[in-house]
Amino acid sequence: MTKVLGIDLGTAITKYASIVNGEPKALENREGSILTPSIVALTKGGERVVGVLAQRQAVTNPKNTVSSVKRFIGRRFSDPEVQKELKLLSYETKERQDGGVEVKMGDKWYTPIEVSAMILQKIKADAEEKLGEKISSVVITCPANFDDSQRKATKAAGEIAGFNVLRVINEPTAAALAYGFGKKEAKKVLVYDFGGGTFDVTILDVSPDTVEVLATGGEAHLGGNDFDQRIIDWVLGEFKKDQGIDLSKDPLALQRLKEAAEKAKTELSSALETNINLPFITSDAEGPKHLDYKLSRAQFESMGKDLVERSIERADKTLKEIKMEKSQVDEIILVGGTTLIPLVRNKVKEFFNKEPNKSINPEEVVAVGAAIEAEILTAKEEGRTPEGDIKSVLLLDVLPLSLGIETYGGVNTIMIAKNTTVPTSQSQVFSTAADNQTSVEISVLQGERPMAHDNRSLGKFVLDGIPPAARGVPQIEVKFDIDANGILTVVALDKATNKSQSIKVGGSIGLSKEEIEKMKKEAEVHAAEDEKKKQLIEVKNAAESLVYSSEKTLKDMGDKVSPDLKKEIEEKVSDLKKAGESDNVEEIRSKTEALSQTLQKIGAQMYNQPKEEEKKNDAPEAETEESKE
Amino acid sequence: MDKKDWEECEKKKQEFFSGWQREKADFINYRKKEGERMTEIAEAVKEDLVLRILPILDSFYLAEKTIPANEKEDENLKGLLLIKKQLEELLKSQGIEEIPCNKEFDPCLHEAVGEVMSESEDGTVAEEVEKGYQFKGIVIRPTKVKVYKLKS
Repeated sequence: MTKVLGIDLGTAITKYASIVNGEPKALENREGSILTPSIVALTKGGERVVGVLAQRQAVTNPKNTVSSVKRFIGRRFSDPEVQKELKLLSYETKERQDGGVEVKMGDKWYTPIEVSAMILQKIKADAEEKLGEKISSVVITCPANFDDSQRKATKAAGEIAGFNVLRVINEPTAAALAYGFGKKEAKKVLVYDFGGGTFDVTILDVSPDTVEVLATGGEAHLGGNDFDQRIIDWVLGEFKKDQGIDLSKDPLALQRLKEAAEKAKTELSSALETNINLPFITSDAEGPKHLDYKLSRAQFESMGKDLVERSIERADKTLKEIKMEKSQVDEIILVGGTTLIPLVRNKVKEFFNKEPNKSINPEEVVAVGAAIEAEILTAKEEGRTPEGDIKSVLLLDVLPLSLGIETYGGVNTIMIAKNTTVPTSQSQVFSTAADNQTSVEISVLQGERPMAHDNRSLGKFVLDGIPPAARGVPQIEVKFDIDANGILTVVALDKATNKSQSIKVGGSIGLSKEEIEKMKKEAEVHAAEDEKKKQLIEVKNAAESLVYSSEKTLKDMGDKVSPDLKKEIEEKVSDLKKAGESDNVEEIRSKTEALSQTLQKIGAQMYNQPKEEEKKNDAPEAETEESKE
Repeated sequence: MDKKDWEECEKKKQEFFSGWQREKADFINYRKKEGERMTEIAEAVKEDLVLRILPILDSFYLAEKTIPANEKEDENLKGLLLIKKQLEELLKSQGIEEIPCNKEFDPCLHEAVGEVMSESEDGTVAEEVEKGYQFKGIVIRPTKVKVYKLKS
């Protein structure tokens, strides 16, 4: 089986993915990052460097550091758009004999194809090192609005890098593939791609056989960098107001601020507030100056609101161009790091009145989709099932709700947790709750709630004939087994007599989706109060168990304990008993602790005293074994 | 059951059995890999934390630089700078090493953040702006430097 790659060859950043253990996965480069800057340079020492290394030396070597060549690949030098872009460059360019663009590094001229090939060569070397094998077959992505000549040029770059380029596919198409859209039924998919520097929107008609691009739109200079800039401008303004110093004239301060702004932006995706704290940012005649500002998510959102609105308007316009209503869009896919900003997600959701797809990392989704396409094409060529698709043949279900049994105090003890892949089995050893108990009732439960009666009962049975013994002594093994058809078998076995009882619950997994959702919701709603109830019962059980073992100890070996200690223990036992009648968790807990401490004195007093203290666990639990098959 | 059925059955059995064996082997291998991955993750988490601690140390260095000479003996300031030392020791104990400042600019170790005009030198490191660090020989943060540029 040949390993394949999907490569998202970007204007600023390149990413790649492969199929690892049947799952598509974005992979890191040699420097340990998923993101490889699409930059190539010839250092002053005459060495060619690609990626972050090229980026690091760009300031000192701008003439020989080439970036953004994707803007020129397969295009004519005389193209007005190309001319516009060329003005922004730090490196030299000229028109080739065939009308294309050439860029200069050192004293040699290169085509954008050759430069792209250098980036792809690095990806090849890094991927081979990472995956430990030779890689040849790849799928490379390009923007949906690339014309034939640009696509051919992209393919040529891959071939020069030593790849067998199976296909060049559209970036939005790759994103749709990553989510597996269109496998069963045709769908209208809108891909909302908000990157670092560009915004693209594409509307696709995805069906099992074809992917058709219905419309594309976008803005060449709108992206995450604009959000950073808004934060920087705000901080610069505040600092000037407070200190009267313009930091924008200080390149080093500005660089620290840039990094801090990007960090703040990222943090505000998960936190509601962040601090931009840069001590010793500058100094004047009075001494050092510090910068320390709080930035809330709300503040940040009001700074960047118009940027998001611009992107939404662009998407709206693109829909209108093909006379499509936004309600006709079946799926929305978020692509690009900027879509991690909560405001962006919310605005998209609000506008389309639909939850966008974002479960696959938006920075990796294009490379992942390309890897899936590469695997499908290679598998077809090799006449095998695509890796990762094998699962569809051997489909394994997961348990939608946890399964457990009722234990002492009406507690639901989970045996198999939800989301466990079946078939599976799990066993645990329990014991009795009272002295001379000769039978146990096994009540099988389904659900997440900690208290047994809040869950669905799947069935009950009784195991009797247990030889009389003190509580906690008998060992009853309970085994849960679910087969591939979702049939649950529960067996209880008394280890002393080998007597067993069992129950079979057919289709225990067979709840309707609505029922499952309802039960899960209930569990969430009641989580806090349930937890309290469960805690109280556990504490009470522990207290009761300790009272029992204390009394037993005193009865069995009371004559070996000094009268003072005996009295002390008896007092504490009675204290604890009284506390146990209340519902005060803290009090029961502290009294239990007090008794437990005093009990330990017996051990200190009596030398050579075996088993002075029995298990204090909440009966009937006496967990000694756990097995998984 | 005729011979053909039997052969078919045997074939199926073999298929299922080897599928099962494979699955089992896959799982064992997965577990081994997962163990390696855990180590990697632990190191990545550590690196991430270190990368967040480094700016604090940077601030200490900046603070140290701005202390006027006549205040350097102030015991309060000395105490504060000892906190810097604690941080340095912490990083060192975790295997985080400072990248030594070389004269030659090397993009594997350095990130150029500016240029300094020079009469004689070109392309060599002029000034260290922010310290760089490595962990187990891998650069986790390059040294930020200014580089000489020959006046032409």
